[in-house]
Amino acid sequence: MIQANHQLDAKGLACPMPIVKTKKAITDLEDGQVLEVQATDKGSKADLAAWASTVGHQYLGTLEEGDVLYHYIRKGSNEPEVEKTFEHTVSLDEIESGDGLILDVREAAEYAFGHIQGAKSIPMGELESRLGELDKEEEIYVICRTGKRSDLAAQLLANNGYKKVYNVLPGMNEWNGKITKEI
Amino acid sequence: MSEKVAIIAANGGMFDAYKVFNIATAAAASEKEVQIFFTFEGLNLIHKQAMHDLEMPAGKEHFAEGFEKANVPTIPQLVEMAQELGVKFIACQMTMDVMGLTKEDFVDGIEVGGAVTFLEYAKDASPTLTF
Repeated sequence: MIQANHQLDAKGLACPMPIVKTKKAITDLEDGQVLEVQATDKGSKADLAAWASTVGHQYLGTLEEGDVLYHYIRKGSNEPEVEKTFEHTVSLDEIESGDGLILDVREAAEYAFGHIQGAKSIPMGELESRLGELDKEEEIYVICRTGKRSDLAAQLLANNGYKKVYNVLPGMNEWNGKITKEI
Repeated sequence: MSEKVAIIAANGGMFDAYKVFNIATAAAASEKEVQIFFTFEGLNLIHKQAMHDLEMPAGKEHFAEGFEKANVPTIPQLVEMAQELGVKFIACQMTMDVMGLTKEDFVDGIEVGGAVTFLEYAKDASPTLTF
């Protein structure tokens, strides 16, 4: 199962209840957290994707197991775009030809629904406690969806003595290469 | 894109009620401002007694089982949910006068207004839907 911050049981409910329940449930999440919506209404897949884009959340994808649909939505934020401050950056083209480690700091559910092959997943929130998994001498390309979280992650790595850290800009939202799923 | 949805409910059957309240709650859940103008038979949908016993179209009564099986919420439940989500109900004054109804005949929290009240709201709403 894909990791999520909260689960919502909307099984057995007909339209428009899964949307109404999702709207209520997502208010309890913090920006950037992932909600799993369990539903049996077959229309909920198209509905939730459309709803998320209307109200500014990120629809990640849906898994089907038997009669149950598991939808994953990441709560969007209305924060203005902050300036990215980490000075060492690379483009998507450069990481394709480079031989460093691609470190994907998006949430586990975002990674599961599509990442660059070979990329290592450590969500931003877990990075500090999992630094030991990374080699200080290795070249590390930090990537997220838009470059915002990876900017913070790159700063955190640099401050902890990682020497060859680069923030990948823009990020997965403009990646047109091959995608690997883990679902 | 407009942030307002305007709905006219002019019919009083059970199917009409589902069309009106499903769209209204879905729009409200999508953070739209929603107003429903209830006129003529549409007033049934928010009438304290009538809304519990709305009729199916003649010959379609067998759908009752389907509604139950699909676990569709009842109309009173949808009415409550719509109001909870901030959907505003406006009952048509003229129809109420014709039918001899007062505000107390309807669920709590409604407003009473005329056609102009609704038109003023609907002038920059998109979509405006009629059921």
